Amino acid sequence: MASLPKRIIKETERLITDPVPGITAEPHDDNLRYFEVTVEGPVGSPYENGIFQLELYLPDDYPMEAPKVRFLTKIYHPNIDRLGRICLDVLKTNWSPALQIRTVLLSIQALLASPNPNDPLANDVAEDWIKDEEAAKQTAKKWSKLYATPKQ
Amino acid sequence: MHTAAVDAEHEYVYEDDFDGNSFDDTSAEKYTDMAAGKKRNSIMSQESEFEIDDQLYSDDDGTDAYNDYTLVEPLSTVSARELNQGTVPNLKYECLTAQSIFEKMVERVNHLKLIFNICTEDLLSLMQHFDWNEERLLESWTDKMDDLLVEIGLKNASETVSGTQIDASNGTETARTLNFRNNFSCMICCEEKTTNTFSLECGHEYCIDCYRHYVNDKLNSGNIISCIGCSLALKNDDIDKITGSPSSKKLMMSSIKSFVQKHNKNYRWCPFTDCNYIIHLKDTSSLDEYARLHYSPFVKCSDSHRFCFSCAFEIHAPADCNVTALWVNKSRKESANLNWVLSNTKECPKCSVNIEKDGGCNHMVCSGCKYEFCWICERDWTPHGKSFYQCTLYKSDDDKKNAKTSLEVAAKTLKKYTFYYKMFNAQEESAKLDWTLGQAVGAKVRLLQEKMGVSWIEGQFLAESVRTLYEGRTALKWSFAVAYYSDASHNLTKIFVDNQSLLSAAVEDLSELLEIKEPAKIMDRKTDFYNKAGYVENRTSALIECGRDLLCKGICKPV
Repeated sequence: MASLPKRIIKETERLITDPVPGITAEPHDDNLRYFEVTVEGPVGSPYENGIFQLELYLPDDYPMEAPKVRFLTKIYHPNIDRLGRICLDVLKTNWSPALQIRTVLLSIQALLASPNPNDPLANDVAEDWIKDEEAAKQTAKKWSKLYATPKQ
Repeated sequence: MHTAAVDAEHEYVYEDDFDGNSFDDTSAEKYTDMAAGKKRNSIMSQESEFEIDDQLYSDDDGTDAYNDYTLVEPLSTVSARELNQGTVPNLKYECLTAQSIFEKMVERVNHLKLIFNICTEDLLSLMQHFDWNEERLLESWTDKMDDLLVEIGLKNASETVSGTQIDASNGTETARTLNFRNNFSCMICCEEKTTNTFSLECGHEYCIDCYRHYVNDKLNSGNIISCIGCSLALKNDDIDKITGSPSSKKLMMSSIKSFVQKHNKNYRWCPFTDCNYIIHLKDTSSLDEYARLHYSPFVKCSDSHRFCFSCAFEIHAPADCNVTALWVNKSRKESANLNWVLSNTKECPKCSVNIEKDGGCNHMVCSGCKYEFCWICERDWTPHGKSFYQCTLYKSDDDKKNAKTSLEVAAKTLKKYTFYYKMFNAQEESAKLDWTLGQAVGAKVRLLQEKMGVSWIEGQFLAESVRTLYEGRTALKWSFAVAYYSDASHNLTKIFVDNQSLLSAAVEDLSELLEIKEPAKIMDRKTDFYNKAGYVENRTSALIECGRDLLCKGICKPV
């Protein structure tokens, strides 16, 4: 394997020494481009108290290409589908090499705080969300408790 | 004028051979007779058809005097020749280069210069951003001038607000040039090195390696390239400076492409590989009428590539665009490749490019024409703001039904299809061989000049023959698509099939003749060349007319 670019080493170091509150990201022992990520549900959102697991992979062309991120924990959210794929502009068209792993993860946390059912990825969820927002939020809360609570 | 003269000569020689009976094969003579008779008949019947159709047309809607005029015009020798190629007479178009398109673009924005007071390059960016919709641009412009410039990156945000947040220590005086720096620490690669750097007025400075990598990645997207750190746009000059080569040309090309795409009613790229000509059809009002009469608007670029303006496909007479599209789609469908395309992609509803959805939501933006649509219902995105979910349920039901019936139909017609497809393919293969033959013809003509002292003009009958052969083959090829969709039991279809075999025989005859290599023999058989080429030409137009008849009478029903 080609040696790891300095950029990735620096970002990794900073993620460990100066972590973002509510977010952890650790590189895999076997592959330093593969990160195991956890994101806490934002306070005041239906995902509060939940701890969501994600995987993040830095493609060969990183930072010219956006990191690939996916939820591993089941989540009820209009912009995240059953496979955990995320519809987020900075992961697609609005990616810039000036962004970092930490900014991407912060954007994902922000997406949890403000779902956007008008630009849906999970159609069924978005449908529920628009029809009855309160009920949808209840479901999201239930799912968070069910799937995103750390096992004792 | 030149074409007319050549044509007249053809006609003449052809008639001559009629009286002289130079064919020794009696059956061929009979064919010639038939072909000649048919040709006259078909042109006549076609003229009368025009009248009837026009009558009908004006009954329905008597306002369209212009169309009547173009179509009733008597057919000159030139337009007869055009008819032979399956095209409509009097189609007025011009062939442009990318450069002349660019000039048109500059022309378009020039009058805006007074209003905006910015340079042409920026104006072009503005117009491209607004999809060449001038009204929308002017509207947004009056609303929020400076914001607009900042948004598109033509102006630095810090220039409009007092007090810059960005540490502009490297200042504007070093902006937009390469700067050599010792121990520069780049934010992107995190390397510390002595290197050239680049920055815009915004002060976001990165090492040249990262910048070059970034710009090269973005060059193909066709969008304005901005600073890595903010939305300030790079100009063409900057791009060339960064990449160290005139790569902004690539960007300009894509900007030209987007212009042509936005005006795709009047402009069409030549579809031939590596051909950069663009056909500009000023008046498209008669296209509908042509389509109704099952004519196709075939055009020719300056590189002599001939294609259909409507569907940007090669000359496909006697088939019309509809038959062509269905046939091509069908023949692709049989391959595993298309199966994948069908199950994984959808066509952009606007420009028909195939789009694969590899993630993200249902809000699709076509990377080609920037049309926004919904992945589920394949309709415009605008009304989806709130009621997007309605389309999910509705379409899926429909899809299932469609899939089922199309499966049955496919099974039923597979045998028939395989037959026609093989015929079509065989002709395509032969046409390819003819093409190589055509490449060799130039050498042959030279040989004639050297060995036989034949003048260049005189040797052109060879090139003419090859062209006729190619046209005949192409018509024959597409006639199988027409035959496939036609009602086989109908009498006219039978006539059509007879016509096919006649043309097929004629084409093979001519092809054999073109195999001759010795210059002396070629000159000996010069009249044969004329005769056979003339015969192929007539058979071609007979077949094309017959095919059009099938389409007009609804015997050929592409479904």
